Order: sequence, then structure tokens, then C-alpha cells
Amino acid sequence: MSASTDEVAERGRTHEAPPPRRRQFTKRTSLTILAYLTPAFIFVIIFTYYPLVVGGQMAFRKWSLYDLTSTPFIGLENFTTLIANPLFSKVMLNSLVWVVASLVVQFLIGFMLALGLRKKFRFRGVYQAMIFYPWAVSGFLIGILFRWMFNSEFGVFNDMLMRTGVSAKPIPWLANPDLALVAVIVANVWYGVAFFAIMILAALQSVPHELHEAAAIDGAGRWRTLTRVTIPTIRTTLVLTVLLRVIWIFNFPDIIYGMTGGGPGNQTQIATTWMIQFTQQGDYGLASALGFIVMGVLVVFTGVYLTLLTRERKP
Amino acid sequence: MRKKLLTTVAAVSALALSLTGCSGSGGGGDDKSDGGDVTITMVESLTNPARTELLKGMLSEFETENPGIKVQLISPPTEQADQKIQQMLQSGSGVDVLEVRDLTVGPFSNNTWLYDMSGDLKSWEGLDKLTDQAKTVAVGEDGKSYYVPYGFYGLSLFYRTDMVKEAGFDGAPKSWDDLITQAAKIQDPTKNKYGYAFRGGKNSAGQVLSILQAYNADNLDVTNAYKVTSGKTIFSTPESQTAIDRYIDLFKTGSPESSVSWGYSEMVQAFTNGSTAFLLQDPEVIAVVNDSTLTADQWGVAPNPVGPTGKAAWPMATAGWGVAEASKHKPEAVKLVQWLSGDISTKFAKENSLVPILKSAGEDEFFKTGPWAAYVEMTSQPETWISVTEPRDVAWWTEWMQKSETDLQQVLLGKMSTADMLKSWDTFWTEKWNG
Amino acid sequence: MIQKDPLWVSIPRAAGLGVWALISLFPLYWILLTSFKPANQIAEYPVRYWPREFSFSNYTSLFQKSEFGAYLLNSLVVSASAAFVATTIALLSAYVLSRFHFRSKGAVMMAFLVTQMIPAFIALGPLYQMFTNLGLVDKRFGLVLVYIAMSIPFASIMLRGFFDNVPDSLEEAAMVDGASRFGALWRVIVPVMTPGIIATFIFNFVNSWNELFLAVTLINTDDRKTIPTALNGFISNFNIEWGPMSAAAVLTILPTMVLFAFASRWIVAGLTQGATKG
Repeated sequence: MSASTDEVAERGRTHEAPPPRRRQFTKRTSLTILAYLTPAFIFVIIFTYYPLVVGGQMAFRKWSLYDLTSTPFIGLENFTTLIANPLFSKVMLNSLVWVVASLVVQFLIGFMLALGLRKKFRFRGVYQAMIFYPWAVSGFLIGILFRWMFNSEFGVFNDMLMRTGVSAKPIPWLANPDLALVAVIVANVWYGVAFFAIMILAALQSVPHELHEAAAIDGAGRWRTLTRVTIPTIRTTLVLTVLLRVIWIFNFPDIIYGMTGGGPGNQTQIATTWMIQFTQQGDYGLASALGFIVMGVLVVFTGVYLTLLTRERKP
Repeated sequence: MRKKLLTTVAAVSALALSLTGCSGSGGGGDDKSDGGDVTITMVESLTNPARTELLKGMLSEFETENPGIKVQLISPPTEQADQKIQQMLQSGSGVDVLEVRDLTVGPFSNNTWLYDMSGDLKSWEGLDKLTDQAKTVAVGEDGKSYYVPYGFYGLSLFYRTDMVKEAGFDGAPKSWDDLITQAAKIQDPTKNKYGYAFRGGKNSAGQVLSILQAYNADNLDVTNAYKVTSGKTIFSTPESQTAIDRYIDLFKTGSPESSVSWGYSEMVQAFTNGSTAFLLQDPEVIAVVNDSTLTADQWGVAPNPVGPTGKAAWPMATAGWGVAEASKHKPEAVKLVQWLSGDISTKFAKENSLVPILKSAGEDEFFKTGPWAAYVEMTSQPETWISVTEPRDVAWWTEWMQKSETDLQQVLLGKMSTADMLKSWDTFWTEKWNG
Repeated sequence: MIQKDPLWVSIPRAAGLGVWALISLFPLYWILLTSFKPANQIAEYPVRYWPREFSFSNYTSLFQKSEFGAYLLNSLVVSASAAFVATTIALLSAYVLSRFHFRSKGAVMMAFLVTQMIPAFIALGPLYQMFTNLGLVDKRFGLVLVYIAMSIPFASIMLRGFFDNVPDSLEEAAMVDGASRFGALWRVIVPVMTPGIIATFIFNFVNSWNELFLAVTLINTDDRKTIPTALNGFISNFNIEWGPMSAAAVLTILPTMVLFAFASRWIVAGLTQGATKG
């Protein structure tokens, strides 16, 4: 895996004429590396990895809030219980739909917004604040707010649809097994577009104009400039933002929890909302086992994703 | 230019950081703040802003009456509260008095996190002032006292007097059959009029059990209202099959289509915005309805609807105050619990719309009139509204609430039959009870 | 320099930006509307798009009945401190990840990424125990520490991407001129990367600004609470208090919008200002 992440980085620098030359690897260099990484490591190890390792034991124990006086080690039993649960495959499938659909739409809209925002126009700062603010609204608030707005009988969305004549009857968004998933994804898209828009915009701003001018002189059209010059230049940012968003969306139960609680009939149940259900039942063993399964899936995904993206462009 | 920005950001942030550092290390929260004063910490669970304000007022009264004791109230948002309380109890520090619910007393006491107050309560003159109902909670079957309840809540029928009248009925529904008939008559989605605020979302089992218990009222095991006298689960009887089918009728003919996913907020909103005629909910809703556009002559509260044999059950949920085993100030903590369970508890019950714990509250005019009359009616006729206990303290209660919610939604969506649902619930409870 | 776009580009662009602005703003409008409605008109039906009467009671009660000013200040201070420290620390680690090749680099990246996958409840127990032992429970400083830890990995990954966009030649030139590595990083690369750094800072800020789970668990005293805890407090078992909650939400969103508007100038400033050309 180590090779693949490195190469992604190098891909990102295609605008640089000669590839970065390998530095001489001296003792001094490795000390520098260590020194620069140490502060980050200290925080992450103390406040993230140490609690993870200690708390992670729960996954291999019978760990029920109802009786913490005995928490025997039970090996992988929590994992097998989960996988044997008929809901397991449905939850994983829902998670997949939730991640892919939210991600693709967020990315496309975010990318287009970033492109649209490159050129200066009056009140661009105000405009950006207007479209970026959803990111600063907490997930649970978005959940209950959209739940209210999507309410079939009294919600404002149906009211608008009916007033404008788009729909004659109220649409039971959250009560319909198919529409409920659409509704939660709509809310998530509304929330998540800002992240891509800002990150891609920031990356686009670091593409030197000389490159575009050179392309223009070459007579390349807009589309060609975009696909041949712009995108390759900000490739690392694109690859990494997508990766981070996959991880975050997978681990983001707030909106679904607030909007549907996983219902109706488990139709919007994803891995992390299911995990919340286990913690509410007091079964921290099952909940953390599910947490590890999610982490496992994401680690494998990360490895494959980075490897594939590296291989794809090899000459 | 850019450098200036970075420097400014750096300076501001550094200032901010030093601020947190200073104020962080400064503040109170220590056990002994000023001189010989004892500070005890109290954590609430069913938090809401109005209640927190009320509690704060009560606590300052307590502090005046008990110089030398200070109380710090911790009010986490209710959704996260029990988890926080659990962390505090587990770490063995930071909490003296806490709100214990019938749902949490099981795990908390199993883990020996709660102090058994039975010794302290024996000599407490307030014990005999409690209603029988409150006493059975305060002193459990095993003689242990993990918490003293501050009030009770159980379902009753909120209804719209005007809508019922318009539809040509002469009063609130008395039985489930009446309710289903009236709801169907009132329901008119084209005019945004709905009969019954159906609960399909979170914790829908409460309303389901209400109709099941009414239909099984003659054979109900009052000590465990999930069982009938034969020892089988309530879900196994033919009466339950009839009841659940009627309940689905109520959904189909008298309730909004989207109520499949309704939780408390949608139900209450549907009632308070004037579009829905009936709502089966806890007394807490009284306060919310009072704040709405509905005027006092537009609504009322009726007793729980009865079943075909003219009876219904009235299961109650409760919560109260307990003391942490790890508390270093148990005498003061117990004192506070006893004080909260004394005369002040009636005030607390009034302002929170709870069924009070003191016998003396029965004399109070407040609980005899208006919306509260229905509660008096129910308590005064225990043959009709049978007082029962639900197994809310079992380890699988939350699992059950989640399962029943999902299954009921499947039935409402037409993906499962009522018979299959009851069968699956019967199996679930039988297996759990058999261990 | 920059040419003017033809109409077939600029009109669809304006239309697209306009449509998304409407979509984006509608929920804010709805919250704003709700915040000005008196309690008994909030759940009214039929839906009203303009209040029958404007009421400021939700705002006044927010400041009278709760320590809302303190919550706001706490959130600002905690998030800004955490974001600043985390971004600074991450600049260093990201620099190394971008500029050096070493065997364990993939592992370091993965170690950062894994932190983003950990469900909070797994770590919560041990973390609470640790904070109790260190006396950091109910201290805003403690919250800052966890938020820093929470933000560093994300910031390192993002900044690494932005470093990769900056040509090596820049700092090499500076180092040939006698600057130290750190000096080159600080004086040459950081200015070029301002858009990325600001964007990363903002996201770190916002992630802490929205954090609920740890804030609820680690903070007890009312006047040390942060905004998300306060917002969640308006949801009780039988009611969502939309009026005061909307007012609180509006007051929470506005400062972040100001921040975005201010910061966006720096995000779009970019390389055009000639830092590279010198």
C-alpha cells in the first residue's frame, strides 16, 4: 500500500517537467521526517489510538450494559452473530447505495460549482457563504429539519409541489420504502456539496494560469483544457477528497438517524445507524464489532482505490 | 497581504487558545468550593429547557433550606443523557444524585452503580405520604431502593371536541371501536383532516400494546402486562389477532398515509396544528397543546379507550431520583432525594404534567379539573382501567422497541401479515423469557 | 490575461449558480422564518411562507433563559484554537508526506485515514477515564485537545494534496539561496498554499464547531457548553422546541457564513497574485 499512496502524489504533479528527484536519504533527513511528524503522532496516539485499542476490546467480549460485572472474552462470536443476522447484507447494501449515490451527486455538483466560482464576479464572497454554510450545520439538525420539511401532510416540500401543480397528491416521502432512501440522500447532498466545492475550488486556484494560457495558445478547447490540463493538475486533491468523503459518508449516521431512524422497515438502515441501535440496546460488544467491520471494509476499499487509481495511468 | 492575514489568524487563535487554557484551569466543579460547603452533583436525563429551569429553581430552594449543601445541576440533552450518565457512573466520579428511569434502573443496579437507599428510607417520614403506586417503585420487590419516583406517565386519549361534534358524535370515543368509527368518519385527506395521529415510528409499541391489552383485559397478567393469565405471551391470544387487525383498520381508514414513519413530534404536531382529531399520548403533551393555537374549548383528554369487554389496562412508566454508589456525599445526596420526593414533588408533577406521587396531591384541585379529570377518572375506577406493570426493566427492552417498530412498519407497508407479526413477537418474548 | 467568456458559457453558469443558491438557501430561509414565528404558529397548517406577525420572543428568551452568548463564545474559542493548532501541526506532517519518500509513508497515510473511520463510542469510555484521571473533564481546554487530535489527520491528508500541487522547485530555489528547510516552508511554500491552508482551517473549524458527542460527554457546566449541545437541548422526549431552536440555529449559522465570506476571498486568491512568479 505504501507504494500506491506515494504514486498518487506523483501523478498529481504532472505539470512539473521532470519528476521529483529522489533526495539523498541521510540520517539528517530521517530525523527531519521524524521531527515533523512527531507532534501529529503525539496527539493521534494519545487521543485516538490509545482509546481505540482499549475500547476495541469490547468487540471481542460479551459487553452488555446490562451486566458489566462479567465481560468474558468470546473471540469472534460478536462478528459471527452479526454476519449471521439476516439484516447484515441489507444494511451493507443500503450503506453502499447511500455512499455511492450521495458521493457521485455531491461530487458532480461540487465540481461544477467550483468551476463556476473560478471567475471573479460581484458578491462572489457572499455567494460562497450562501452555498457553503450547510457544511456548518450539524447533522442532527439537518436530519430533523429535513424530516419536518419532507413530512407528507404538513411539510413544506409537498406543499410547494402541490401549489405549483407538480403533484396532485402529497408524496409520502419518508413513509414510502423507496422514496425514504431518496429523501435522506437528497438531504445529504444538500449538506455535502459544500465540501467538494470548497476543496476543489481551493485546488483549482493553485493551478498556474500559465498552464491554461499555454493550452489556449495550443488551440485546445475548454473541455480539452479541463480534462487534459486542469483535472490532472489537481488530481491528488480530487483523489483524496473523494476518499475522505467515502469514509465520512459511510460513517455519518446523523442525517438518517434524525430523518428516518433507519425506517420504514429498515429501508434506510445503514451500518452506522444499525450500530447506534446496538449501543442503545446496551450491547457494546456487537456495536464495536460492527464498528470494526466498517473499518475493515473501508481499509480494504482505501487500499484497492489507491492502487487502482495508480495503475490506471501507468504507461 | 497574505502574510498579514496569516499573522492575524495566528494571533487571534493563540489568544483564543490561551483563553481556553486559563478559564479551563480556573473554574469550579471541585467538591469543596467555599469553606465547609459540600457540593453535590446532580444529573438529569429527561431534560428539556423548561424542566431544567424549574429544577434550578427547586434546587436553589433546597440550598436555602440546607445551608452548607450546594447542588450543581448537569443537564445533558435528553437523547445523549443516559449514555453520559453511564460514562460518569462507570468512571466512578462526578455524580452524586441522578435521574434513574424504569428503563435504566436494571442495568445501573446490576452494575452496582446505584446506592441502595432502603436503610435511609425506613426512617424517612415521607415514605408514608407516597401513593401505593409510588411506594412500590421506591421500595422494590426485593426490598431495595434504587430510586424514588418523581411522577408517572401513561397514555390517555387527547381529542378534539369540535371535530368530534362536527362529525355528529356526542362525545369522545369510549372504546377502541368508537375511536375507529369516529376517526374514519372525520378523516378527509382532501381537506387535510385526519382522524387519528397514528404512531408508526420510534417506540410505536406503546400504542400497539394499549389496544392489545384492552382486548385481553379479562385475562391480563397484571404483574406483567406482556403476559396473559395462562402464562403465555399476550401476542399468542386470538383476542390479540382481532385487536391488531382493528388497529390496522384504524391506520387504513382513519390515519394519514405517512404516519408509517411518525414519531412523537409528528403526532403531536398533527394534533396541535388542528388537522388531526385523536392522539394517544402521555400527559406531558398537555403543556405542548396549551402552547398551541388550539383553544381550551377545542380539545379535551379522555380515558384510555376500552376493549370489547369494557375494560382497558393502564400501564405506567416512571422515573425518579437515585444516588450513585460512588458518591462521596451520600448523606447529603439522600437528603436531596428525600427533599425532591417531598411536598415539592407535586409542584414538579404539575409543571411537567406528570401523575403525582403524593397522596395529598389527590386533593389538589389542579389534578381534578380540565385535562387532568380523565386521569382522576382512570385512577378512581381500577376495575375498568386496570393498573398493570410492563416489563420495562428487561435487558432486551430497547431491542424489542426497535424490533416492534420495524415489524409494524412492514405490516403497514403490506410486506408482512398481522398474524406473522404476532407470531414473531410471541416467539421473541417466549425465547427471551426462557433465556 | 483572462479572457471574457462567451455567452454560451456565462449564461448557463449564472443559471446553474442561481439554481443552486436557491436550493442551498431554502432550508436557511425556513429556519429563519420559524425563528420569527410565535410558538403557536410554528406548526400551523396550511404552510405559511411569511409569518402572520413577527415575533422576536424566540431570540430574547434564548438570551434571557440560557447562556447562549457563552455557548457561542465557547464554540468560537474552542473551534478556532483547535483548528489553528491542528492546521499548524498538520502543515508539518503534510509537508513531510508530500516532499519525502520513505518506506513507512503509506502506513502513516493509512494511520491517518483509519482515524476517520473510528466510531466515537468505541473510544469514548477510555477517553472519559483518561480525562477523569487527568482532571480534564468539564474543561474547555480538554475539549480543545481532543478536537486537535480529531482534526490533525484530516488536515494532514488535505494539506498533503495541496503541497503536491506546489512545484518542488520553489523551495529548492530558496534553499539554494541559503534558507533553512523550515524557513523555506514557512516563507515560500506557505504563502503559495494560502487557499488550501485557509480551506483546511475552515474545515477543521467547522468539524469542531459541529461536534456533539464528545462535547456532551466531556463538558458538564452550563456556561462551558458548546453550541451543538445547546441546540440538542431543545429536543425533549415529547417535543421539539422549534422556535428557540431555530433562533439558536440562525445565530449559529450566521457567524459561520461571515467566516466563509471572509475566508473565501483567500481561498480564491490563489496563485494569480504572483507569488510564484517572483
